[in-house]
Amino acid sequence: MTDLLPFLVIGLTTGSVYGLAAMGLVLTYKTSGIFNFAHGAIAALAAYAFYEVKVVRGLPWPVALLVAVVVLPPLVAMLMERVTRALAGATTTMKIVATIGIQLIITGALLAHYGAAGLTFPAFLPADTIELFGVYVGIDQLVSACVAALGALGFFVFFTFSPLGVRMRAVVDDPDLLSLAGTSPFAVRSWAWLIGSHFAAISGVLLAPLIGLDALLLTLLVVQAYGAAAVGLFASLPMTYAGGLLIGVLAALATNVVSGSVVLSGLPPAMPFLVLFAVLLLAGKRRLVDIGATRPTPPQPPLLGPRTARIVALVVIGIGIAVPFLVGAKLPVYANALVFVLIFSSLQLLVRTSGQVSLAHAGLVAVGAATFSHLAVGAGLPWLVAVLLAGAVAVPVGALVAIPAIRLSGLFLALATFGFGLLLENVVYRTGLLFGASGSLPAPRPDGLGGDLPFYYVLLGFAVAGVLLVAAVGRSRLGRLLRAMADSPTSLATLGLGVNVTRVTVFGISAFLAGVAGALYASQGHSATGTPFTSFTSLTWLTVLVLCGAARSAAPLAAAIVFAVLPAYGGGEADGSSGWMPVLFGVGALLVALHESSARRGRSHVSAEWPTGSRAAERIGSPGRAAARERVAHRDVDSAVRVRVGAAGGAR
Amino acid sequence: MFELDSITAGYSGSVVLRDVSLWVPPRSVVALLGANGAGKTTLLRVASGLLKPSAGRMRLDGVDVTGKPPHVLARHGVCHVPEGRGVFPHLTVRDNLTIQATGGSAAEAVERAVSAFPILGEKLNQQAGALSGGQQQMLALAHAYVIDPSHVLLDEVSMGLAPVVVDEIFESLAKLAASGCALLLVEQYISRALELADYAYLITRGGIEFAGEPGELDGDQLTAKYLGTPLRS
Repeated sequence: MTDLLPFLVIGLTTGSVYGLAAMGLVLTYKTSGIFNFAHGAIAALAAYAFYEVKVVRGLPWPVALLVAVVVLPPLVAMLMERVTRALAGATTTMKIVATIGIQLIITGALLAHYGAAGLTFPAFLPADTIELFGVYVGIDQLVSACVAALGALGFFVFFTFSPLGVRMRAVVDDPDLLSLAGTSPFAVRSWAWLIGSHFAAISGVLLAPLIGLDALLLTLLVVQAYGAAAVGLFASLPMTYAGGLLIGVLAALATNVVSGSVVLSGLPPAMPFLVLFAVLLLAGKRRLVDIGATRPTPPQPPLLGPRTARIVALVVIGIGIAVPFLVGAKLPVYANALVFVLIFSSLQLLVRTSGQVSLAHAGLVAVGAATFSHLAVGAGLPWLVAVLLAGAVAVPVGALVAIPAIRLSGLFLALATFGFGLLLENVVYRTGLLFGASGSLPAPRPDGLGGDLPFYYVLLGFAVAGVLLVAAVGRSRLGRLLRAMADSPTSLATLGLGVNVTRVTVFGISAFLAGVAGALYASQGHSATGTPFTSFTSLTWLTVLVLCGAARSAAPLAAAIVFAVLPAYGGGEADGSSGWMPVLFGVGALLVALHESSARRGRSHVSAEWPTGSRAAERIGSPGRAAARERVAHRDVDSAVRVRVGAAGGAR
Repeated sequence: MFELDSITAGYSGSVVLRDVSLWVPPRSVVALLGANGAGKTTLLRVASGLLKPSAGRMRLDGVDVTGKPPHVLARHGVCHVPEGRGVFPHLTVRDNLTIQATGGSAAEAVERAVSAFPILGEKLNQQAGALSGGQQQMLALAHAYVIDPSHVLLDEVSMGLAPVVVDEIFESLAKLAASGCALLLVEQYISRALELADYAYLITRGGIEFAGEPGELDGDQLTAKYLGTPLRS
């Protein structure tokens, strides 16, 4: 026991800071109904602000502290409150995408400006140690823990007893009723955002000395708050703080257990996601009800008629065939883009067609890439067999992600998949199952088609086949079920159609495509590595796809061009997940989310534009024989009604 | 005087109210009657600012308040007791009353509420969600006693309550009316509402069908409007 005590103390000191960050997260989520994925990014922003003032400008640390935790949070809170207000009535997907957009903006800007390599954070608290229960503890750690604990306690007292705290709890219960009682819920929410941003900023400045200044790590480390928030079931503040302590201790103990093992070294940082995942899997479904009613997305009529669409598709394929003769040395860029057409198609199937947000997609692609290498190089299977089997192996992994999807929906599904993706990335990538300790595996191209030009056409074939597969799924019974599920799972269940099998099936198909795409990506790059497939990448992909949502079913193609081709002509970055590109994508996704929700609110005023909530419009506009029958039927109904109306008029 | 002038309003694509005008004169009780789905609740939501009308104007004692948010209207003396249970279930009774007081003295709010509904005095530290339906409705109604509203909008406050509790609620409504504030009453107990009312409006499919004194309202006609079909004799 005594040799575990140091880890316990260290765990409690960091856990206290996690708890504080998590309380801010839960507070803003409960009062506004928006789960702030950018919470960790705010913490990172504060830490960098401190660094900028103290190290770059050379001012004394109290000034830096003032800027980071007093001046900055109100600005962030103002932004967040405005965004929240504009997101009222938006779909869960758009709410998630909006705050992910903000996260990409902040984290992307920090990475682009300060570089991805970690910087040394200036210690501003005394580094002496004192003895506590027989353990030597740094004064700085002790101060951090106490500051966080006092903040948490003070806030709990404020929340329970002060008039404003009472109103914050009231806004959670019923914002409309609060406004009827003469208090503006917007004003109360502004306070909640202010407190939440302060907590994030303080935890960022307290955590940075412990882990160094690394934007990605800080963003994700304060994501420990997710796990802590899950322990409190996203509702109870004291339990959330306790969850923070628990995660701190578990991570510290795990460090002790796995020390010496290279393979398991990713376990301690992944601890919060294990906790998050476990809570989401085990907690009762009724205890995890997303705040804010979700309304189905209105049907989007297709942009083009069926015949025009077919012609456009053929023209696009023609352009695809001609590309190698037009672009010269940039051919690999376009080859990559074809792989991304597959990736975005599989993501589109989940996000747009079935309305489920998955943030583990990069993980699935990575699984495909690694499996392909093991099969093609390790087991010596033929190229095509290895590619298809790589897709097949990704299916059970996708099904594993689908387990939470069966029970959870919306926000909690997004969180569970995000946790799963991070788990893959932190724990499994470096094991022998995937990329191994070296992080890189060889990946061959098919015999005889290994040149850049022939392989480009192989990829083109796969991309076209993938798009056709997704289109076929959309037209099939499964596609109809998926759209019906996105509209109303309840009515689907009352029709006697279970949604569970449908959800797992769609995850399986999507995972298969992602796995194949991973194999092709590795093959195109001659090596399989996990570096391009981080959770940050998953977030970027989602925002890019949403950004291109206006292109409807052509969104995957548009997204692939935006993500993989445009950067090559811009600043010379490899693809859309480096440099300033994520910032642009974040801004774009945020604007799209705000635009869509304002368009929805616009429709909630009186207008005859969408007379029904059904998807008949989409169905009727789409190509295919069944739709044609419906079109005819509708015309008949129309004329029949007109005849009847005429007869009634005559009788009168 | 609360004037709603040619209000048109609705939700996501459907018009619920078309060109509805309604006056609540000072110190009077106005009953708003109509079948399910006629638009009574929507009209009250417009009147208290929860729903912005797409056309029409609202005037409160001569001041234009169209499009003002609910908390501003509440501070101008409009008190809306919404449909269902208008309480914060996770807050204690005392906290509910504190919020109703809108920044005023919490102690005074408790005193006023308890003098109107003595039973609340025994439950001050209980969660509002743990109260019985009648007690929750009393807590919601207490809002009208805690502040001094000029107009109280009541949406089916007797719904789902035991008859003896309904009696108590109606007594308190009479007391409210006697104290001088104007009431706009949506009720399922039509005859009891009409007993109390100085004026009555009948709303059918989003339009005003009848406006006048309760005595002018023909009972058969009223039944027909509720049932949605003309009565044949």
